[in-house]
Amino acid sequence: MKVDPKLLSEVRKYGDFDVTGCFNCGSCTVNCNLSKDSPTFPRKSMRHVIMGLKDNLNSSLEPWLCYYCGDCSKTCPRQAEPGEAMMTLRRYLTSKYDWTGLASKFYRSVAWEIGAILLVAAFVLVLGVMFTGPMVTDRVSLNTFAPVEKVHLFDIGMFTVLSFFIISNAFNMFRLTMYKDKSIKIPVSLYFTQLKELIVHAATQKRFKDCTTSDRWIKHWLLVMGYGTMFILIVVFLSWFQTDNIYPIYHPQRWLGYFATIVLIVFTIEILYGRMIKKEQIHRFSHLSDWLFPILLLLTAVTGIAVHIFRYIEMPLPTYYTYAIHMAVAVPMLVVEVPFGKWSHLVYRPLAVYFQSIKDKAIQLQKGESKHGQ
Amino acid sequence: MDNNTKTIGAAVVVGGGIAGMQASLDLASSGIKVYLVETKPSIGGVMAQLDKTFPTNDCAMCTMAPRLVEISSHKNIELISLAEVESVKGEAGNFTVTVKKRPRYVDEKKCTGCGSCLAVCPVGKAKAAQDGKERKIKPIPDEYNEGLSTRPAVSIPFPQAIPNKAFIDNRYCLYINGGKCGNCKKACKADAIEFDQKEQIFELNVGAIMVTPGYELFDIGSKPEYGSGKFENVLTALRFERILSASGPYQGKVLRPSDKKIPKKLAFIQCVGSRDHERDYCSAVCCMYATKEALIAKEHLGDQLEIDILYMDIRAYGKGFEEYYQRAQKLGVNYIRCRVPDIEEKPDTKNLVIHYLSENDKKVTREYDMIILSTGLLAPKSAKQISSTLGITLNEYNFCNTGPFTPVNSSREGIFVAGPFTEPKDVPETVIQASGAASKALSLLCGSRGTLIKEKEYPSEKDITGQEARIGVFICHCGKNIGGVANVPEVVKYASTLPSVVHAEDNLYMCSSDAIDKIKQKIEEHHLNRVVVASCTPRTHEPLFKNTIREAGLNEYLFEMANIREHCTWAHMHEPEAATKKAKGLVQMAVAKSKLLEPLYRQFVPINQDCLVIGGGIAGMTAAKEVADKGFLVHLVEKEAQLGGNARKLHYLIDGANPQDYLNDLIKTVNNHENIRVHTASPIESLNGSIGKFKTVINNAGNKQEIEHGAVILATGGIEHKPSEYMYGKNKRVMTQLELEDKLVNDPKFKAPECVVMIQCVESRNDDRPYCSRICCASAVKNALKIKEKYPDAGVYVLYRDMRTFGFLEGYYTKARQKGIVFSIYDKDRKPELIESKNGNLTVRYFDSTMQENIEIDSDYVVLSTPVIPRPENKELASLLKVPLDQNKFFLEAHIKLRPVDFATDGIFLCGLAHYPKSIKDSIAQAGAAAARASTILSKKFIETEGAISVVDEAKCIGCGTCVNVCPYNAPALEEVTVTVEEVTYKTKKSRINPAACKGCGSCAAACPAGAITAQHFSSREIREVIDAFDKGVRGVSIEKSIVEVMV
Repeated sequence: MKVDPKLLSEVRKYGDFDVTGCFNCGSCTVNCNLSKDSPTFPRKSMRHVIMGLKDNLNSSLEPWLCYYCGDCSKTCPRQAEPGEAMMTLRRYLTSKYDWTGLASKFYRSVAWEIGAILLVAAFVLVLGVMFTGPMVTDRVSLNTFAPVEKVHLFDIGMFTVLSFFIISNAFNMFRLTMYKDKSIKIPVSLYFTQLKELIVHAATQKRFKDCTTSDRWIKHWLLVMGYGTMFILIVVFLSWFQTDNIYPIYHPQRWLGYFATIVLIVFTIEILYGRMIKKEQIHRFSHLSDWLFPILLLLTAVTGIAVHIFRYIEMPLPTYYTYAIHMAVAVPMLVVEVPFGKWSHLVYRPLAVYFQSIKDKAIQLQKGESKHGQ
Repeated sequence: MDNNTKTIGAAVVVGGGIAGMQASLDLASSGIKVYLVETKPSIGGVMAQLDKTFPTNDCAMCTMAPRLVEISSHKNIELISLAEVESVKGEAGNFTVTVKKRPRYVDEKKCTGCGSCLAVCPVGKAKAAQDGKERKIKPIPDEYNEGLSTRPAVSIPFPQAIPNKAFIDNRYCLYINGGKCGNCKKACKADAIEFDQKEQIFELNVGAIMVTPGYELFDIGSKPEYGSGKFENVLTALRFERILSASGPYQGKVLRPSDKKIPKKLAFIQCVGSRDHERDYCSAVCCMYATKEALIAKEHLGDQLEIDILYMDIRAYGKGFEEYYQRAQKLGVNYIRCRVPDIEEKPDTKNLVIHYLSENDKKVTREYDMIILSTGLLAPKSAKQISSTLGITLNEYNFCNTGPFTPVNSSREGIFVAGPFTEPKDVPETVIQASGAASKALSLLCGSRGTLIKEKEYPSEKDITGQEARIGVFICHCGKNIGGVANVPEVVKYASTLPSVVHAEDNLYMCSSDAIDKIKQKIEEHHLNRVVVASCTPRTHEPLFKNTIREAGLNEYLFEMANIREHCTWAHMHEPEAATKKAKGLVQMAVAKSKLLEPLYRQFVPINQDCLVIGGGIAGMTAAKEVADKGFLVHLVEKEAQLGGNARKLHYLIDGANPQDYLNDLIKTVNNHENIRVHTASPIESLNGSIGKFKTVINNAGNKQEIEHGAVILATGGIEHKPSEYMYGKNKRVMTQLELEDKLVNDPKFKAPECVVMIQCVESRNDDRPYCSRICCASAVKNALKIKEKYPDAGVYVLYRDMRTFGFLEGYYTKARQKGIVFSIYDKDRKPELIESKNGNLTVRYFDSTMQENIEIDSDYVVLSTPVIPRPENKELASLLKVPLDQNKFFLEAHIKLRPVDFATDGIFLCGLAHYPKSIKDSIAQAGAAAARASTILSKKFIETEGAISVVDEAKCIGCGTCVNVCPYNAPALEEVTVTVEEVTYKTKKSRINPAACKGCGSCAAACPAGAITAQHFSSREIREVIDAFDKGVRGVSIEKSIVEVMV
């Protein structure tokens, strides 16, 4: 394996990677509840970067297997912050998977990241000006202002485009981490038999539970549930969700929406507050992307519920304007963050767990065979 | 220092550990009055607590005890225990030091150290009250045993304590805290207890201050991950040292504290409290003390004991350390590279469980009966107070600041520092620094040397002519070393039955000052005229006992020693009966010889007060300057045309200092010094003579010059090894560290590299060259940092086996990692390979254990860290000077621990790379030390010769010259004499032995074909008597008779 002496300086562009003291002692890995016999992390990932083993790093799944409880950083005798280093590596890998090169730009440059968000927001507003209907002022009629069919069509269009990007990036991840890894022979059948891992982890993030900070798992899971609910409501059931009718309070449309909104608001505020006071290990370092995603999420939820409230208290104009703002926040969040930003971990993490389980199984099979052979 | 200014010929030494002791002795022996101020009840420091010392496994107390006694009996040293320095006024050459002495509550003049008070003190012991119920009294932890045993409120810290006086701890004493009890006062036969003693404050007028307060050990109470000291079977290494010691809490049995069972599996965890983010330095001694304790524990328990040492880098960087580490591995000590994040205690068994990540990236869980924490060294607790009282500055870790070229100078003139207070360090380096500090003080005070001292006076010698032999036999238990194996009381009983023996007794430690006093007392009481001590080796202890009988008015040669420890109980550790029998035999032989002993007398030979320094490098020039500064004439001899040595090739130091500036200043100083004669391009032709009167001929391009001098300092240096591996010499892009350093500074063609690979331990730490060259890791770090400074984008890879950046060098290792320099381990058995591709590119390939795969690094330059090797001419020089070389062909000092700059041959001293690879700073310290040691000789007008030397019976001598050929010390010479026998007068040659050179080895006596030479004190008559006694006394011990007959 050839080394690339420039790797460390490259990785450092993606956030904190303080190797200050790392002397390769392995305390971090020993203390990690998630790092089992194989693969081990974070030491190995740290070594990849420090030594310049670029191919090893690009093909590694380890950064995704870490949920950042921060124990490694707390016990590191040199305060080398391996937990934050893993965080940086996730940004780095996200950029490596993204073939457009945008992720890399967004992570490495504040101008690009903010610029992109503002640009998309402006684009949404321009679209709004061009395509929205009249503002009915005697009553609230959102569907006259922004007809749900049109919005839904836009949603689905955006969904398709973003899916294309994220799926192609995920394919890149597969290519780098699975296809290129010639060290293990992987029977194709495993990709099917292990599929359940993908579904289970995507739905539950249950590995996170094994972290010593298991309360974070509950919070995170609720946040994902809230987000997921809202996502399904918007992408699949928008005509049912964006309506001028006020359903009764016991109607699922109402309480599902409330549930999602409350969860999103509470936990994004919790995250932002945590990052501000820096008490917990995982909040001690904050990259711009760590701020932006929860901020945009919070703003989306706040403007979303505001639309609902204004409609409820029958204030037509504020409803329309808030709706426009809501769209101008939600769309950039999705466009920038889904395939090119922090959102993408919703895809990469469960995929990594799934890929790793395939590798583990394959190794087991290989071992079994070689034993059998003897 | 202007000599006209009046300086005070006295010094105060603050701290009585091994550093303070060495500085005191060097100063006192060179004519300076010394006040040794120690805050504890006894001097000795941490070394007194050690069982053995690395890398020779010598008994620590045994090497140290003679020095303790020497200090207590030295006329020029005033020991002030339980005292601290309160304030310092004045300036270099004339300080007024205010000292506060805490009360001992015991009159030091009256106390004999008999221990009666200890036995009756009720405090700290569970005592059955009159009502039958046991009252619980809070035990007092015994500091000497690190709290593993308890002590009463009145105590003597340890058997060899100096002063060997009881001390009442006012925190616990019932009488002091309430007026009840007073048992000790009643029990004291000497009436020494004084409850009303008060704190005393007094002033000392001195010219220099030596600061040697030692260090503190890291407190494991602040390590919750290792149990905060609450796990019973997790011990600090010093506690374990006490457990290993015969004088320790379990009498030398290795037991675990929770259930007093013998442990089967134990582990050492290294770097506890060092090399972390709070203390970014290496404690420098822990790797070796862990190795030592592991070896001793294995010695005690044998192969049934499994020992793991859990380390990050084994820092075996000192003389003999690497070989010691290799030996430990061969003896089954298991070294595992890892760092242990925490320890769990199993509540039922009190066993301990740890997890670690192995080198090949596997998680491992292990269970142990006992875990030893190798705790690091911290600055002494008193550091801040010392700093403000004395006005000296500290570094960020509260150690004393010293400069890159001033290893023993504090920030205030006239105040010198030594020992771990300046940086964590081991005993020999501490001793070197202490002598170096003494040297500075001696230079400062050279104008007032001898103004405040007293000569040692002995009582006039008793005439024993015509007296029947009256022999006293004194038998030592040496703690458990002898008494734990042989039945000493039985040997005493046997000795008292031997002919001419009028008194026999035993003692726990014969070398303790109370036992010494007892010997003197018994000489008086029983009119003894011969004394036999059966204890340990005469090498360390004979001078002490000889001095003792001299103080009692006997000629010192009326003394005989039986070594019943090394020759008996250590050799027959598991055969107590045979050992007892052999001890009896050895005593009987000594007694038999002692009957024939005659008084012998030393001669006084005048000393030439000039000094010869061989070698004009940094070490040699520094030594020359330091000796010359003390007012002695120095001849500095260099065989090259230029002064400077290896330092000429050094352009920058790791701390950024410029060695060229220092070197040029030093060369100028040496050339212009009124007391230095520089002889460049002058190799040595011959060197004869002995301490006090050497004659050396140097040859400057055919001009021979004879130099007479009284002492020699050897500073011939070493050389950087040029390897034959890795295409060195064939490919210009492969170079050594020194060559790289030169290119980085001087080579305009040196092109900015993209990547540089450094390979450590090239042709070093292998079978051919087993030693570690000590400086290469720091050199690599230094040069790697320089590359990064000049070419920030260059990749630098350092492939190493263990990074040995000991002490504060660790900070530079951290800095290097911060700068992105990559450090990777390679395995000794899978050395890196260098591959040159067809287009001339260099690639280094090595196996990385964490990655478990081969890593290839394309490299513009490959830098080889090769060892410092001894000069090839060392062998020749060694035979010229009659001094030994070690197995690696460096010069071998007299004692690796306590006499690191002396040779066994008197009057010759050693410093710099000729001793072992070392940094400039260490060379400067050692050069100072050699100068101080030389000055202990040069400052005297006469030396006393050995009394037990060989003498020639000229009537029998046939002038054949055999003795001249066999003598290793150049003592005999043939001289032409005119002989008249029955009116026939003729000229012939007869042998004459120079008493100053003769060491009394007896080679000549054994070789003389005419039987003309007698080795006094070992005459044939005496030896024959010994053999007869052996024949009579030791029968039954199965030694082949034939061997003995051959000897006869």
